[in-house]
Amino acid sequence: MSSGRSGAPLPYTDGRHQMAAQFLTEEAHLLDTSDFEAWLGLMDPRIRYRMPVRVTAVKAADEVEVQTMHHFDEDWYSLRKRVQRFQTDYAWTEDPQSRIRHHVSNVRTFEGSGDELTVESAVLLYRSRGDRTAPSLLSAGRTDVLIPTSEGLRLRQRDIEIDESVLRTQNLAIFL
Amino acid sequence: MALAEPDGITEITGAVRQGLIPAYLYNDAEVHELERDRLFGRSWNFLAHESEIARPDDYVVRNIGDDSFLVTRDSDGVIHVMFNMCVHRGMQVCRAERGSARTFRCPYHAWTYKNDGQLAGLPFHADAYGGDTGFVKEGQALLAAPSVAVRNGMIFASLDPDAPDFETWLGDFAFYLDFYTGQSEAGMEFRGPQRWRVEANWKIGAENFMGDSYHTPHTHASVVDIELFGEPKPYKRKEGVLWHAGPGGGTTYKLPPGSDFRSGLAYVGYPDEMIDRMAAKLNPAQRALVDEPGFMPSASTLFPNLSFVHNWPQTDAEGRITPFISVRLWQPVGPGETEVYSWFCVAADAPDDYKAASYKAYLMCFGSSGMFEQDDVENWVSITTMARGSMARNLLLNNRMGLTLDGEPIVNQFEGFGGPGTAYQGFGEHNQRHWFSMWADLVSQAAPARQPMAFGMGEQPA
Repeated sequence: MSSGRSGAPLPYTDGRHQMAAQFLTEEAHLLDTSDFEAWLGLMDPRIRYRMPVRVTAVKAADEVEVQTMHHFDEDWYSLRKRVQRFQTDYAWTEDPQSRIRHHVSNVRTFEGSGDELTVESAVLLYRSRGDRTAPSLLSAGRTDVLIPTSEGLRLRQRDIEIDESVLRTQNLAIFL
Repeated sequence: MALAEPDGITEITGAVRQGLIPAYLYNDAEVHELERDRLFGRSWNFLAHESEIARPDDYVVRNIGDDSFLVTRDSDGVIHVMFNMCVHRGMQVCRAERGSARTFRCPYHAWTYKNDGQLAGLPFHADAYGGDTGFVKEGQALLAAPSVAVRNGMIFASLDPDAPDFETWLGDFAFYLDFYTGQSEAGMEFRGPQRWRVEANWKIGAENFMGDSYHTPHTHASVVDIELFGEPKPYKRKEGVLWHAGPGGGTTYKLPPGSDFRSGLAYVGYPDEMIDRMAAKLNPAQRALVDEPGFMPSASTLFPNLSFVHNWPQTDAEGRITPFISVRLWQPVGPGETEVYSWFCVAADAPDDYKAASYKAYLMCFGSSGMFEQDDVENWVSITTMARGSMARNLLLNNRMGLTLDGEPIVNQFEGFGGPGTAYQGFGEHNQRHWFSMWADLVSQAAPARQPMAFGMGEQPA
């Protein structure tokens, strides 16, 4: 996954790493509390938010991700529509809401081009619906490009590497 | 009473033919086994599209029920469908799901097969088997799928060596299939599939896409509310015609008054050059379906478990309307679990900016993250969960919309529809009953006789 990052990760004592790690934690909090409007506010208007389909391939093969097919390939318009949908009275799949928790870890921050930061993280999403079906887990790696603005960091690009070829959750009415 | 006994199955098939569905059919181990052996054992099953194995030596691995198949294009370009089990000790020969390979080597004992299935390598053939005195290597190959057919680049297989001829079986459904996968002489490009598992019975998706225009205004109210897709308003949906023809059926939307073939396709977002190609590819009767009084195909299902969808949402903030096509397979993995395979497909020679917008339309609406599909699956999981208990055995679900209590159609067949088969305008469960009549036909027949084959035994019978 190309991200334009260079060099070794910034030390944990570096203020830029601390800002990036806090950004991811606060973002997860917004998602876990369904504050999608505020979540959308963290996006740069040029956001690219992608999650390619992964396949089981032989070790020697180049293709472990199908770059012509994604689970998500979003821009600001489509993210906005997804958020608007959750705000209607008819988004049945999230009414009653899932109980979700984003567990974010393994944060590594790199200098990107210019004043951008490239941030890698792992996310484990726990999702529990109703009282009849078993909860589901989604595990993924993420590579983010964060840009500083006068109002704090904004997400310019997110590439999600999902750790399953066949998802075991009923739909992706969630964000990773 | 065991379902496999004639009286047991007759009770069920009698009910479903009347439009009454025993609710437990949506989550029952015995029904699942009958479907596996009798229904999927006889039907034509979709595996892959030729564009997924576009180059020589490409392959994908796909399932029919519990059976894994290697779908290859050999080095000469010929397509093969082979049971993915080593004929020696039964290991799954290819464990990747796609790639490119001239040969497949079994990880267990290194038996090696060419990508046309022929056994090419057998380590220590002379030492271990005494050469052909112990195992006749010549002509041995992976077990081929009993019947294979290709239509519009779509590869189908049947586990039944005596399966009906594919084209004969497909019948008048072919007329409608072209709207989804016969849009251009250049053929289609299938991307994906996205795969995910849902705790829902496979029949529900198949029935839903076949004819359930009735759920659209309510289940999908959110996508109308956010102005993603304007069509599924109740008054618009009921103007559509439901058709069934051959082993399938589907739904349509009525185009605005005064539309003709070209303006109807332009209304849903096709650019001129694609309309030109459709005009050249489709026959006059197919074009007449879209002509005044025009109907545009939306969802449909080809029995048993292959569905299609064609919608035209708004794909950018400026209000561009772009159609998309998705092909999807409802692959049963258990009585209450389905693996969904969902492909995006587009005419191979469509302009690049159209392909990009159509892909976006697909991702926003259908597939694992699609805003339509999200709410569908929520319903189907719930039905399947409810069907598991004891009370569901006392409930016959009503699948009779469009019929009087005496079994007469509430409205006459729609005469002004250009396509073959049976067509009704307005809401109704005609198509779902048609689907269930085919279901009943197959689950009441014994499974095809098994024909065990031995390998390496030469001309002698095993």
